[in-house]
Amino acid sequence: MMNWRIPALIVCIAACAATGNGYFVSLMVIIGLQALPAIGLALIAGYTGQISLGHAAFYGLGAYGAALIGKWLGVPAGLDIVLSAAVVAALAWAIGWLVFRLKGHYLAMATLAFGIIVQVCLVEMHGVTGGPDGLTGIAPLSLFGVPLASDFAILPVIWLVTIAAIVCAQNLVASPTGLAMRAISENEATARSVGNDVKSVKRLIMMVSGLFCALGGGLYAHYIGYLSPGPFDVGFSIKLLLMVAIGGFADVWGVLFGVIFITLIGEALKPLGAYDIVAYGALLVISVIYCPDGLLRGIASLAGRAMHTSTAERRS
Amino acid sequence: MSDALQFLISGLVVGSIYGLIGVGFTCIYNVTGIVNFAQGDFAMVGAMSAIAIQAAGAPLWLAILLAIVITCAVALLIERSAIRPVRGDVMRGIIVTIGVGVVLQGLAAIVWGTDAQPMPAFSGEQLIHVFGATVMPQSLWVLGTAIVAMVALDLLFRRTYLGQMFRACAMNPFAARLVGMKVETMSLVGFVMSGALGAIAGIVVAPIALTQYDTGLQLGIKGFVACIVGGFGGPIGAAVGGLVLGVLEAFSAGYVSSGYKNAIAFALLLGFLLFRPGGLLGEYERVRG
Repeated sequence: MMNWRIPALIVCIAACAATGNGYFVSLMVIIGLQALPAIGLALIAGYTGQISLGHAAFYGLGAYGAALIGKWLGVPAGLDIVLSAAVVAALAWAIGWLVFRLKGHYLAMATLAFGIIVQVCLVEMHGVTGGPDGLTGIAPLSLFGVPLASDFAILPVIWLVTIAAIVCAQNLVASPTGLAMRAISENEATARSVGNDVKSVKRLIMMVSGLFCALGGGLYAHYIGYLSPGPFDVGFSIKLLLMVAIGGFADVWGVLFGVIFITLIGEALKPLGAYDIVAYGALLVISVIYCPDGLLRGIASLAGRAMHTSTAERRS
Repeated sequence: MSDALQFLISGLVVGSIYGLIGVGFTCIYNVTGIVNFAQGDFAMVGAMSAIAIQAAGAPLWLAILLAIVITCAVALLIERSAIRPVRGDVMRGIIVTIGVGVVLQGLAAIVWGTDAQPMPAFSGEQLIHVFGATVMPQSLWVLGTAIVAMVALDLLFRRTYLGQMFRACAMNPFAARLVGMKVETMSLVGFVMSGALGAIAGIVVAPIALTQYDTGLQLGIKGFVACIVGGFGGPIGAAVGGLVLGVLEAFSAGYVSSGYKNAIAFALLLGFLLFRPGGLLGEYERVRG
């Protein structure tokens, strides 16, 4: 049923690349990079109903991990992303083991605390992370010895990973585990009563979620070539949450729309300074209150209702 | 020795601010079941408006009064427009209050700019020397305000009719409604109270610490940590938690490293959440998942 969407997405990306417009292509790269952590967050916060305010930390750890593993072990770019993602996935599992003793507000605060601790460590561990100055000179990804330095070259690589992640996420959601996830999100006690190991499902999803974030982070590190702690702060966690909320939480393609929407809004509001923060916050509030199924469906149902009333008026 | 005393004093001062913010959390949580992630931003709004009004030439007492009124109005507006529609839904409540906090930060950055702003001390800068440690007069203001506010709130919750209604709504909103209490009104009162407390906390600490559009988030989380450490529920728990957190932070900043100060606060939060979710004073079963 969903099969047309991936070819359509590939056509869109190819069309963007074909325009030859460097700005479009760099936007597409950014969207692809942010889609990975956003979809990861959707799996845990949307489908499984476990809020996380610390996902920027996984993204950041994936980025720093890839850069540092590449530097220390001298492994080629690409392999270091895989290694770093594996480490972060294990860490995410362990964090899940810790924080999923909690729920609701306490879970939110615990994940927020995790995010801030990671942020503080990135800033303070000067010897390892370079502190506030960051890490420089991260080699770009290369394919058969040819470095993929330009946006045009990196675009297909990033979207290949992103599309693979989308397919994996869809398969996961459609699997029996996916049913268990949604059952947990609806009612944990009921889910447990029919034999689901709730905690291990939550930990597993946290691990997959962390893996997606770390992959995105690793690719980001090699794309941008320079890392500082700034982009991985709580603000980015909230932005990810906003993307997931705009997308309707439990909806992989909706979240992809959310990422595109927020990226474009951010670009449009950039010249206005602080107004973009106000817009993000207002969008978050409005979409959660009025469009709990995502912005697209919220607008569609509003339009449907408006049409319904207008036809009803005409009839009467 | 005088070092330790100095750390202890500054810890107590910072801790009473955390306690004041923390008790603002409980005012809202007790009635609505929502943890207001924008709590720290109330402090920021209060402090920034007081600074702006004073800079416009108003006397200090008028600036403080107006700033508290402004913050209460903001809290009222937030309750009406954003909190009421999501009542009872924990996850949406969290996200909405985060969104509200982000909006407040953005608006503050637009209205007052992104620079950190100082506020003149209430009663001069003449340092007071106690056993080799120095105390700013403003620190006494902070401690005094915190003590008065905590005692007043504790009396309010335990001794007055309004306080009893508050606690009834917290224990069982449905039953409270059955006996004729207006839970919606209580929620509004809770928000206004926590707005006022937040504003007071922000204003008394403003002369000690610079205020900036984004100081609210850190303050809010620290206030929440104070609640967790002390036990979620009453003013005394928040006060105890705030003081413990403040002192611990001051000592770790003094003896370990000031950069890791924040990480230590949050490690404390994680530790308490995981191993003693009821806090030092209370038992709280609903925490566990």
